[in-house]
Amino acid sequence: MPVWGTSSCRASPQVRIGEASQLPKHESTICLVDCDFQYEFAHDRDRISLNHRSISTKRPRIAGVFHVPTVGIQVAEEYRWGGRPEKGVSTAVTAAAPSVAEPRDAHRAPHSLVVGSIVLAGCAAAVAGFALSLEGEYGRAPHVHASLVAWITLSYVLCGLIAWQRRPESGFGPLMVAAGFAPALSRLSEANSEPLQTIGEGLLLLPPVLFLHVFLAYPSGRLDRRPDRFVVAAGYTIVFGFDLVRLSLAGAGQDAAATMALSAQRASIAVLALVALGALVSRRRSSGRPFRPSRELLVACFALALVGLGVGIVMTAVDAPGTYVIRWLAFGLVGTAPVLLLIGHLRAGLARSAVGDFFVDLRSDPEPSELRDALARALRDPSLALVYWLPEFGTYADLNGQAVALPGPGEGRAVTQIDRDGTHVAALLHDPSAEDEPKLLDAVTAAAGIALENGRLHADLRARLEELRGSRARIVDAAQKERQRLERNLHDGAQQRLVALSLELSLIEQKLEGNPGARAQLDQARREIAASLDELREIARGIYPAVVTGHGLAVALEQLSARASVPVRLAVEVGGRLPEPIEVAGYYVVSESLTNVGKYSQASSATIEVSQTNGVLLVEVTDDGVGGADTERGTGLRGLADRVEALGGRLRVWSPKGGGTRVRAEIPCE
Amino acid sequence: MRVAIAEDSVLLREGLARLLEEADFDVVARCETADELLSNVRSFAPDVAIVDIRLPPTHNDEGLQAALEIRSQHPSIGVLVLSQYVEVGLALKLLAESAEGVGYLLKDRISDVKEFVAAVRRVADGGSALDPIIVSTLIARQRPGDPISLLTPREREVLELMAAGSSNQGIADSLVITLRAVEKYVSSIFGKLGLPSTGGESRRVLAVLLYLRS
Repeated sequence: MPVWGTSSCRASPQVRIGEASQLPKHESTICLVDCDFQYEFAHDRDRISLNHRSISTKRPRIAGVFHVPTVGIQVAEEYRWGGRPEKGVSTAVTAAAPSVAEPRDAHRAPHSLVVGSIVLAGCAAAVAGFALSLEGEYGRAPHVHASLVAWITLSYVLCGLIAWQRRPESGFGPLMVAAGFAPALSRLSEANSEPLQTIGEGLLLLPPVLFLHVFLAYPSGRLDRRPDRFVVAAGYTIVFGFDLVRLSLAGAGQDAAATMALSAQRASIAVLALVALGALVSRRRSSGRPFRPSRELLVACFALALVGLGVGIVMTAVDAPGTYVIRWLAFGLVGTAPVLLLIGHLRAGLARSAVGDFFVDLRSDPEPSELRDALARALRDPSLALVYWLPEFGTYADLNGQAVALPGPGEGRAVTQIDRDGTHVAALLHDPSAEDEPKLLDAVTAAAGIALENGRLHADLRARLEELRGSRARIVDAAQKERQRLERNLHDGAQQRLVALSLELSLIEQKLEGNPGARAQLDQARREIAASLDELREIARGIYPAVVTGHGLAVALEQLSARASVPVRLAVEVGGRLPEPIEVAGYYVVSESLTNVGKYSQASSATIEVSQTNGVLLVEVTDDGVGGADTERGTGLRGLADRVEALGGRLRVWSPKGGGTRVRAEIPCE
Repeated sequence: MRVAIAEDSVLLREGLARLLEEADFDVVARCETADELLSNVRSFAPDVAIVDIRLPPTHNDEGLQAALEIRSQHPSIGVLVLSQYVEVGLALKLLAESAEGVGYLLKDRISDVKEFVAAVRRVADGGSALDPIIVSTLIARQRPGDPISLLTPREREVLELMAAGSSNQGIADSLVITLRAVEKYVSSIFGKLGLPSTGGESRRVLAVLLYLRS
């Protein structure tokens, strides 16, 4: 795998990856793959170097420079260097690491001072929110309401900060932090000071809209879908638009109208919460697959919180009894969501480090057989199966070249197809939950590139071997079938007719008592027929050993050993019949070996041993002759080897000069 | 004497039946398959059944299986197996327990009507008939320090006839010698081969066969 400089980039924070000019011209597109997305890329005129920036983790970071066509990573976006697209060396940033395709320095984790201040501010806001909420008229148990406000504030601010630190490139953390301060700000409406109260009044309904924003922006921090953007924009418009109306009405002394406007504002936001719920559900639907359990929980939590917010707002507007219970529930759910969000973020972090490990695995140039395990670890799916696409066979196959059918819908398995350079290479059969992290899947499959190609070649080779073996077996089988057919035709045809003819002649002969001349002629004719039958019998036996098919190897070997040219010891230990092709092959091994014993060995005796152990038929013919048999001599032994190997077995011949000959066939028979 | 025939070639079946009827046999069943033969054997209880070793449907070993079944179910019925080829292994299988009332001949032998009819009668009477090819193959078999080579040519002839199932009288008739001479040869052969002399003529077939096979 052409990876430059990876061996040293772990050791040194400043690594010269390689001379750009050393790279072949046609491989001039270089892809910087940063498995943890936390590297800076630097580039000067003719060198590529990698600045290692060690941030939040002590894990060794691996990065590599890959030639794009070799690794087969799709170029997703051009990496703009200082606002100017750099042709050639550093223009590629990959689908594997799309988040790198952001301007440099845009996403640093917040400074520790900032973090400290926000934590302090968050605590202060929580305390203030608690205190101010006690002032308000929130029915029974005002401290419960106040505690919930404080809980929401703290959970959003703290979880938001953690998310911000872990994923500085995502706007989600700051958004959560902002959402955390909103409830406390809206509580200012209970403050004693007039200006603060006005601010509080103005921001009264901001928190629900912010929460809505947070939920819809999960997990990227961006509003990727048009309906989401519409809902959030409408929310802010309602908050600030109605605020203006309300404030101006209140300023004009029209309190009743202002109260009505507040009710209308509340109703609008309640409706919007339900629309947002719809958007959330439709997003869930359009993804067409179940989320992971933690994600399911989160979506359910969002949905319930949105419903609670909507219902709570409506009930507050109409002053319905029991409002406070609904509100507690809604607040509780709203405050729980950040914890779940944080879990989701941490899981994503885990996934990224899995990609890092995967790079380490790949760097050691794994055997095709190890690739599946590495992929299974990276995707955290022990059930993962890797199948390769074999275009010539038009099928997927495992590493052994055995055809594999892709699971159909409803079988609980997901299929991710992997393409390289526009051609199909492989597919992952995995748990559907892995699709929940499409970026992880993309990164892993893209990085697996060359290793996958090796695996595919391996599978292709095995499939071809398998096919070759199959075709050899078919050829041997077809030849055997043809011989069997010929033998049967002889048996049922010519041989039967000749016997019947001979019988007929005998019957005629019996009736010619008084004609010795004619009887002698008939007798002569019968002798001729008998001689023909003898010849036919030998021919038929040569064509196909029908006795093997009819009565089995053990019976057939009796005749062979009885007719051998040297004394033969025969030991057959086979229980029952075996598949016909195996018995026939065993028969030929013995018959050919005995022929050789007679022709070449000058042996004084031979032994035939046939046994069946562990699903293998063992046929061994040993003689005490001169040895030195040439395995390439004639077609006999070669033909035998073909016959045995076609059945997946093997034939071995030991024939040292002066040391006898041993022919041993092992044929799997299960 | 009642006989049942199982042979799938019509030509041969009818030829056999005609031959046997002309030799005063009562052909009680002419069957095409092994099942047919078995049911006819049960119904008609013939003295002897003549069975082609290859019978439908598979033409593998249906005939042999039927022969073995008759041997075990109806020991009093003689079984004569006919085949286009004779195999030592099959002879051993057929005669596994006893050589009484069993025969195994090449189909060619039919045309030597006299010999064949004699063989059928012998088997029907509880004797045996083993094809000369089997016997000669076994006698010709190579064995270390072969005691067969100690036999005189005449003794060898007697051994072959004996192994094929001939009675002493049959041997005497074949070789045109006296019964006494045959008995002398037989005891000399048993002595040279180191075989214990056995009483019945059928039992000695098996003894000789097993001796030759080993």
